[in-house]
Amino acid sequence: MNLESFLLLALILFSLGLYAVMSRRNMIAILIGIELMLNAASLNFMAFNRFLPVEDPTVGQIFVLFIIGLAAAEVAIALSIILIVYRQRKRIDVDDITELKG
Amino acid sequence: MGGITGLLMALAVAGGLLAVSLKNVLHAIFGLALTLLAVAGLFAVLGSPFVATMQVLIYVGGITVAMVFAVMLSTVVQKHATESPWRRAGAAVVALGFAVGVGMVIAAAGLPDGPAPELVADAWTVRQIGTSLLGDYNVVFEVLSVVLLLAIIGAIVISRHEGEEKQS
Repeated sequence: MNLESFLLLALILFSLGLYAVMSRRNMIAILIGIELMLNAASLNFMAFNRFLPVEDPTVGQIFVLFIIGLAAAEVAIALSIILIVYRQRKRIDVDDITELKG
Repeated sequence: MGGITGLLMALAVAGGLLAVSLKNVLHAIFGLALTLLAVAGLFAVLGSPFVATMQVLIYVGGITVAMVFAVMLSTVVQKHATESPWRRAGAAVVALGFAVGVGMVIAAAGLPDGPAPELVADAWTVRQIGTSLLGDYNVVFEVLSVVLLLAIIGAIVISRHEGEEKQS
């Protein structure tokens, strides 16, 4: 349990998320990849705050709380967009979405 | 302590692998939920039970369930075409290159090794987080609440407008 192991774990999670975002075509699968990357970032904030001396010891936790809140907003918007795309095209492939106006 | 941390890290990586590799999106969401739970456990190990609770409540209880609902409402799981192998190979190359590059940076950074320093008494408590949230970070807190309100209104407007248009 040292700082490096936490950073490597966050790196693995971020790379998995990056792979999912670039390789999948299903929009929900891409959203899963984005969530993995956000979680890796949260883990980095917490680990750095815990292991390195900082002036304000709560700053890492505050950042993680903001990340969680923004992720909730992002998922709400993304899922409503996915539902519209499904209603219009009956598929949710990113390759189909080539125009802004439905 | 070390055993629990290692177990949680292994669970997080296993859940991530499931989330990116499973064809069925619903199963992938459950892999993501496993990762989120493991990360929440790591937050608790790192000394912040409050953030771990928030992670479980919002991510596992809210976001994952919302995603499952979206999958249920858009039943496209079976008739989804598979990705081309070229696309997957390209993505794997980019992700591996990123991982190796950042891994080299981490290895060369000369980070302090060894266990975490002792927790400062009452530095990571809920009281301290609340004081910091409504004190130093007051403006960010308020802006985040506005962002959440706009997201809710936006989600409602987007999905309702299209529904009425379809009926007319």
